[in-house]
Amino acid sequence: MLGQQLVNGITLGSTYALIAIGYTLVLGVLKKLNIAHGELFMVGAFAGIALAALGAPLPVNLAAAFAVAGLVAVAVERVCFHPLRHASFLSPMLTTIAFGILLQNVATQMFGSEPSRFPHSAEPQQFAIGSLSISAVQIAILATAFTLMFGLDLLVRRTRWGIALRATSDDPETAAQHGVHPSRITITTFFVSGALAGVAGVLTTLVYSQVTPLIGIRQGLIGMVAIVIGGLGNLRGAMIGGLALGLIETMNDAYFYAGYRDFVIFSVFFAFLIFKPEGLFPAQAGR
Amino acid sequence: MNVYYEGVLASMGINILLALSAYAMLATDRLSLGNAGFMAIGAYVSSFLTVELGWNLYPALAAGACAAAVTGALVGLPVLRLQGIYFVMGTLAFGEVVRTFFQNFEPTGGAYGMRGMSGTSLEMIAAFVAVFVLLFLAFEVSRAGRAAYAVRDDDQAARSIGINVTGARLLALVSGALIAGIAGALFAHYALYIESGNFNFLVSANAVLFVILGGMQTFWGAVLGAVIFTLLPEALRFLADWRLSAYGALLVALMVLRPEGLLTRTFLIRLWRARSGRDAA
Amino acid sequence: MSVILEARGVDKRFGGVAAVERLSFCVDAGELVGLIGPNGAGKTTVFNLVTGVHRPTAGEILHRGTRISGCDPTAIARRGIARTFQNIRLFPSLTVLEHILVAQACRATVRATQFWPFRTAGERERRRQALAVLDGVGLSARRDEAATHLPYGAQRRLEIARALATGPELLLLDEPAAGLNDTETADLRRLLDALRAQGYTILLVEHDMKLVMQVCSRILVLNFGRLIASGPPAQVRSDPGVIDAYLGVAH
Ligand SMILES: Nc1ncnc2c1ncn2[C@@H]1O[C@H](COP(=O)(O)OP(=O)(O)O)[C@@H](O)[C@H]1O
Ligand SMILES: [Mg+2]
Repeated sequence: MLGQQLVNGITLGSTYALIAIGYTLVLGVLKKLNIAHGELFMVGAFAGIALAALGAPLPVNLAAAFAVAGLVAVAVERVCFHPLRHASFLSPMLTTIAFGILLQNVATQMFGSEPSRFPHSAEPQQFAIGSLSISAVQIAILATAFTLMFGLDLLVRRTRWGIALRATSDDPETAAQHGVHPSRITITTFFVSGALAGVAGVLTTLVYSQVTPLIGIRQGLIGMVAIVIGGLGNLRGAMIGGLALGLIETMNDAYFYAGYRDFVIFSVFFAFLIFKPEGLFPAQAGR
Repeated sequence: MNVYYEGVLASMGINILLALSAYAMLATDRLSLGNAGFMAIGAYVSSFLTVELGWNLYPALAAGACAAAVTGALVGLPVLRLQGIYFVMGTLAFGEVVRTFFQNFEPTGGAYGMRGMSGTSLEMIAAFVAVFVLLFLAFEVSRAGRAAYAVRDDDQAARSIGINVTGARLLALVSGALIAGIAGALFAHYALYIESGNFNFLVSANAVLFVILGGMQTFWGAVLGAVIFTLLPEALRFLADWRLSAYGALLVALMVLRPEGLLTRTFLIRLWRARSGRDAA
Repeated sequence: MSVILEARGVDKRFGGVAAVERLSFCVDAGELVGLIGPNGAGKTTVFNLVTGVHRPTAGEILHRGTRISGCDPTAIARRGIARTFQNIRLFPSLTVLEHILVAQACRATVRATQFWPFRTAGERERRRQALAVLDGVGLSARRDEAATHLPYGAQRRLEIARALATGPELLLLDEPAAGLNDTETADLRRLLDALRAQGYTILLVEHDMKLVMQVCSRILVLNFGRLIASGPPAQVRSDPGVIDAYLGVAH
């Protein structure tokens, strides 16, 4: 029973981690919050559903979500962050709230406010490992999410892009003076952050089998909780925070009461900010 | 009066109160995305008192506002220790905790919400708006108002001349909570039905957007912002189903093109000088 | 003479950087003490420690024999210690006169009346005093201008006036002559002399050596956070350690 909850919790948490990573990337480079980040999750989910409705298989749906949400994220950067790059963090943050409202309403127009779903979702195929049962969908989610997480971790640690990213995040001016193109780094960062959220949108929708235009509000907040738990500006912290949150949610539903789920999550959020705002893994201590 | 116009005016009045509540904190350079939480407390406490305990509206409204203010005082000190992004997230977290609390709190209807409230009239809303506009008007020309400007401009310099910055911010937060609590109580007894979803984070965010877009150098900006951005979706009705998308796009455009807001203090001063014939320069 | 300010073995570390180390000094009532040293020597940090912006890592700071290290900046300002900032920090929303009015509140004993919106007799009296303060720094003619639109030298004088309006006994001035032209520096010198004649105790951080040597009764020299010399101007000027410190740093 507990083992089963762990599997479910990690599956859910891996999608939260994908959302949280995007927040952290943007926060790291710009020291600013993109509150429309949750809407990228929603955009990805709808992009995946739209393609699935045309009969495309899951990998194609995921790729579409990756690309569309990534591009919308770049649009968020160009519209909300770039023109206000000299303002305090508040102006772009509020602009992203307005952009989020825009995206929610456009999605409502295109897909209706009723829940949308994958046409052939939740294949019933189950695998048994000992007493655990794990569905094909869960395996797909875990495989996709962890591949992306390890891939990104490698990218950030090993590639020139990753070095430029870390340099910009530490000291944008010095990085720019040493040949890092700040605008290019920002744009690629936003693309990756949106793409990961978009993939999370499709993966989550596979489990819960439906999505609404307002789903991004909750998912965005969840991602924010995850980065606070993990420690702001810490990539691996964000991943662990996401996984922890998935576990908290699953355990709450299994052993407590599902109705209290969000109350528990947001109480954890508030408690961390008050008592441990630096999170479990403060950014300075080894990134 | 036509029911439609009355509804628009009532939500305009409530939006003005919410904008003033957000402005109170912004005036000391603290942006809260959790004022919907205070609004929820005012709404649920007053509704419980009128519906379940049969209180009169006015004492219930006062109790709701006090409950919001007391909550503000309690969470204010720990939350005000947070800086920048952390403060924004702290208030956001607070608002969501309150919302999800009421979502599950059975005595006030839990997920089913509450009904049976009534009694808010348009005149009542207008009276409260008038009272708070006067209070802000008085505050802005008082010494405390000057000190608030100093805190907003540069809190370290303000401390260096003996201004109690934390005290000023706590007072602003508690006043903001009180006003949001009143707005919530008025809203509940006007809308006749409330559920926790009425107090989600977008409500807090809208209140802040009203202030920023109206201009946050003076409280008149908050009032102006609330008026314009209540009327705007109505004016966009000709766009039918796309009007809310257009509204969102307009908000984005204004934020980017005029981040200082529509109304600035320099503009007001110029207006004032022109009227009193002193605008020689 | 009575000691106004005393530092006892003060250390301040920022992470690995020791900005101030084992610093001890006294300032007596009515003195004008210079605090000099190359860039990064820790002078501004000393001001931040005295005014409560930073807390010492070790040691303590006393004002009239009472420990103030650990108090918050507001409380320290209300004890009568006022400062200016190396990078001018005026309030963009306030006019010149309003800067003085807002600083006067430091001395207020009854704080409830601060919400009263009307011009009371007390308020008119405070305005008269505020204008007198502005007169003292030659800014009363520009009282209604936005402070941040003033020329640079006037902004520096307004910062001093704002500090004076808090009714301090000890003034900490952080590079008041920085960016001033010769006339403005001469004005500043007269102002410093006048303040001293009025009985203010002043701690002055300044790079303009001519000014420092002229106005200060005593000079403290910091280098890499340590006090390397102290004494009257003539003695400090010929101190070999001081000469090394200044020549050792490209200036
Ligand atoms: N808030 C701070 N955080 C980290 N280091 C600081 C801080 N303030 C000052 N320092 C460091 O302390 C040293 C002394 O700085 P400062 O007091 O400004 O020197 P000065 O005013 O003499 O030029 C410098 O190395 C500076 O980088
Ligand atoms: Mg300095």
